[in-house]
Amino acid sequence: MSEVIHSAIEFKDVKMAYDDRVILDGVSFEVNPGETKIVMGGSGTGKSTILKLVLGLIKPNAGQILVDGEDATYRSEQEMVEVRKKIGMVFQEGALFDSLSVYENVGYRLFEQGVPEAEIEETVRRMLRFVNLEQAMFMMPSELSGGMRRRVGIARALVGSPRLMLFDEPTAGLDPITARTILELAIKLRDLEGVSSIFVTHRLDDIKMLSSNYATINDSGEVEFQKENGEVCLVNTRFIMLKEGKVIFSGTDEQLYGSKDPYIQDFLRES
Amino acid sequence: MNPLAQAVYELQEATLLIGRAFSRAMSKPYYFREIIVQMDTVGFGSLMIIILTGVFTGGVLALQTGATLKTFGATGVTGTLVMTSMVREMGPVLASLMLAGRVGSAIAAELGSMVVSEQVDAMRALGSDPVKKLVWPRLLALIVMTPALTLVADMVGAVGGWVVASALMNVASSVYISSAKEALTYNDIIGGMMKPAVFGLIIAIVSCRAGLRTYGGTVGVGRSTTQAVVLSDILILVADFFLSRLILAFSGS
Repeated sequence: MSEVIHSAIEFKDVKMAYDDRVILDGVSFEVNPGETKIVMGGSGTGKSTILKLVLGLIKPNAGQILVDGEDATYRSEQEMVEVRKKIGMVFQEGALFDSLSVYENVGYRLFEQGVPEAEIEETVRRMLRFVNLEQAMFMMPSELSGGMRRRVGIARALVGSPRLMLFDEPTAGLDPITARTILELAIKLRDLEGVSSIFVTHRLDDIKMLSSNYATINDSGEVEFQKENGEVCLVNTRFIMLKEGKVIFSGTDEQLYGSKDPYIQDFLRES
Repeated sequence: MNPLAQAVYELQEATLLIGRAFSRAMSKPYYFREIIVQMDTVGFGSLMIIILTGVFTGGVLALQTGATLKTFGATGVTGTLVMTSMVREMGPVLASLMLAGRVGSAIAAELGSMVVSEQVDAMRALGSDPVKKLVWPRLLALIVMTPALTLVADMVGAVGGWVVASALMNVASSVYISSAKEALTYNDIIGGMMKPAVFGLIIAIVSCRAGLRTYGGTVGVGRSTTQAVVLSDILILVADFFLSRLILAFSGS
């Protein structure tokens, strides 16, 4: 054996509580390289907490978190900087810096590193093109719609080409068309760039689309989205379901739909 | 947590925040731009209210002391009284209280909004240190600008006192000016500049702490802002008492 393949992220029996309110009670799971892990669960089940733990924004009470095979659990704020460079995070409402323009927001990481202006502009333009928002480059966040803010948030997270993306309900509260464009971005990253990700959501539409659509490049070099069929079965998307701080399900979409657990059946039922 | 433990905890956190801000400011990146922007907002932005505060405080000091001094026929020392009260107490304390209201509230509200909209988390996720990028520029700006603004308040206060003394109380300008000049010692001036530096530190740390520990959405932002102003004001007055005692002890009076 010449090379050990690490999980992109691994949680080992992670426990987390605020005062006496238990959020995570022994959560363990793994995200393989190139895999999208969809984290589901009702509100307040600790979905966002998982993402903040990966970034080290908060520390667990017990357990271990490995990012890229390295223990990132109890590192200091300074040591976390290196870990965070590998990770791109898309926050719920975008979390754009209000006082900075779209250009400064997307290029934030590069400005902080003191990269030359010309290089920053080129990268920002490329990222904004990826999310189809090049025209908004010099607007302020307050001038953007909700969907545009999320897309700028995605562009900002993509600077530095992180191998790991974290999405915190990026489609919540958006119209179906905008939600679709955001999911397509996530699919593109997964299938064409091989980025590993954790995708937190509780929307059925997201779950269906992420687990059945895939992106390819057609003969003329354009990105095309296709649906899973009898010949193709997506294996790079898996699910975990959280309930009361515990993982109650872990597996593929087929296993999810076949689950006999009443909570999962209730969750998946069309309203 | 009981209130006493809470207070000790807050004191510990505030001290740690000061320590972190100073120690981390020593390494790159230095955020000169943020520092300049904050100095401009805190300093130049507050100039007008500080001038108004100074003029009317100086004026009212002349008015009140003048009425008392007249019964002793000693209106000639109005300048002395206005100047010493202004430089020793009124200038530093009132300027700082005004700054707590104007700047402290703005800091708490801004940082609080950034916390509840996850901007502070985003900042950390993108690899910058909020203590360095948000707290340090505000801390430095307040430590430098509060004494500078106090100096302005002292000066315009002296002018306000002079206007009232010469226009309403028939004190000759030369008498007012010479008594004002003679009144001040170096100890007064040093003490009068040291106090606002400490008050600036208090405003910055209390407001940044209040902002950064905001929770519970927009309601939380309001709560943090109120806390920042009220706590800054009280701590300024408490610190003023002890600093005055200290300065008097050192100046040997």
